[in-house]
Amino acid sequence: MTDEPRQPAAADEQLVLATLQGEVSSFGTLVERYWNLVFALALTRINDPAEAEDVAQESFLKAYSHLRSLRRPARFAGWLSKITLQQCTNTVRAHIRWRMTFAQEAAEPADWEAIPAYSPNPGLTEAQTQFVRQTVGKLPKTLQGLVLMRFMAGLSAVQIAEQLGKRPGTVRVYLHRAYQMLRKDLAPLLEEVEL
Amino acid sequence: MNACHLFRDLMDEYLDGTIRDSRRQELETHARTCRDCAEQLRASRLMQDVIADAFGPRTAAREAREELLAKLADRRRHPIRHPGGLVVGARWAVAAGIVLAVGLSLGFALGRKGSAGPAPAQLPPPVPMRVAELAGTVLVRHEGAEVWRPLTPDATIHIGDTFHAAAKASCTLEVADKSTIRIDQNSMLILKSYNGETQFYLEHGQCQADLESPHGPFFICTPHGRVEALGTEFTVKVE
Repeated sequence: MTDEPRQPAAADEQLVLATLQGEVSSFGTLVERYWNLVFALALTRINDPAEAEDVAQESFLKAYSHLRSLRRPARFAGWLSKITLQQCTNTVRAHIRWRMTFAQEAAEPADWEAIPAYSPNPGLTEAQTQFVRQTVGKLPKTLQGLVLMRFMAGLSAVQIAEQLGKRPGTVRVYLHRAYQMLRKDLAPLLEEVEL
Repeated sequence: MNACHLFRDLMDEYLDGTIRDSRRQELETHARTCRDCAEQLRASRLMQDVIADAFGPRTAAREAREELLAKLADRRRHPIRHPGGLVVGARWAVAAGIVLAVGLSLGFALGRKGSAGPAPAQLPPPVPMRVAELAGTVLVRHEGAEVWRPLTPDATIHIGDTFHAAAKASCTLEVADKSTIRIDQNSMLILKSYNGETQFYLEHGQCQADLESPHGPFFICTPHGRVEALGTEFTVKVE
């Protein structure tokens, strides 16, 4: 990932407005830009990569069909993140209802150990991938979202603050708290890997 | 090492993604001569990389874009909603509907002066179906009617009827061959006519069918698709 802030919010705004005028390919650009973020957010709640991709797709389709209700097009990423998390909640609830309907034992969402890990980048082993997901999963929910917006969408602290309607200082404080926790918990892994 | 505290802010900016190119070069130059800062920089980069790696999707973003655009192409018939939930065309339709309703009301009021009153609405034909079980408050509305009436055990069922089972209520309808369909609580089921056949349309909620064997083709339609019975007992649920 780059160090420089990229994807200025204005660009999202232009893409949203172009989509509203019927230019569907502009929405495609937004999908490409935020696909990793949306998938990662879904993965923190759903735990199953295949299902997380379905949720990610549904979230984008929902965002497209409700795009006119987005009051501030510059805050597309923040709005999309909320849609994704809501979509995750709906999916988890549907699973619970499904289990109850079929009188199966209502289990908690599958734990990380039970889910076969995969890695698009062979830099991490399966166990390491699971370890990283577990570690991020242990962060408070607010911090998880911020960390993923930072690392998966490449948004800077200032851009994240704009997207979420928060003060940049607040986001910085949260992010640094998350970095501290991650550095501490990931330390054994960071010692052994070399991507 | 003494200058390290000067680079702490740069490290923070680096992690926040707000660092400028010139400042980043400054940080990297310093890291080349300071083992502690180099280690810290390496750990920060590695932390970003391992998280991006562990949470990376299987489907690449470009591929996901193509898939989404293909799906959206299928949906072109459904334009983007307005905040109120209505499309422009629908708004015009609502406006036209209001004008039409006002016109009809006026016509009705004027026509009523010289007549004994409107003829009672013609009910659609009854279907060979009966209420087998009834629990709690289940409401029924005939097609074209505005009022909901409580369903009674001896009610005659017509094509176009809409059944609404409230909370803690349910009813079981039995068709001619003794097959049953149970409407569970908080559910709405509509009897529709399709090619001369009675079809069940589950608007929302849940219903359970118990079919006599052998049975012919049996379908339950939902807003999301049509479910065909393969066995004798099955449940359909619409969220």
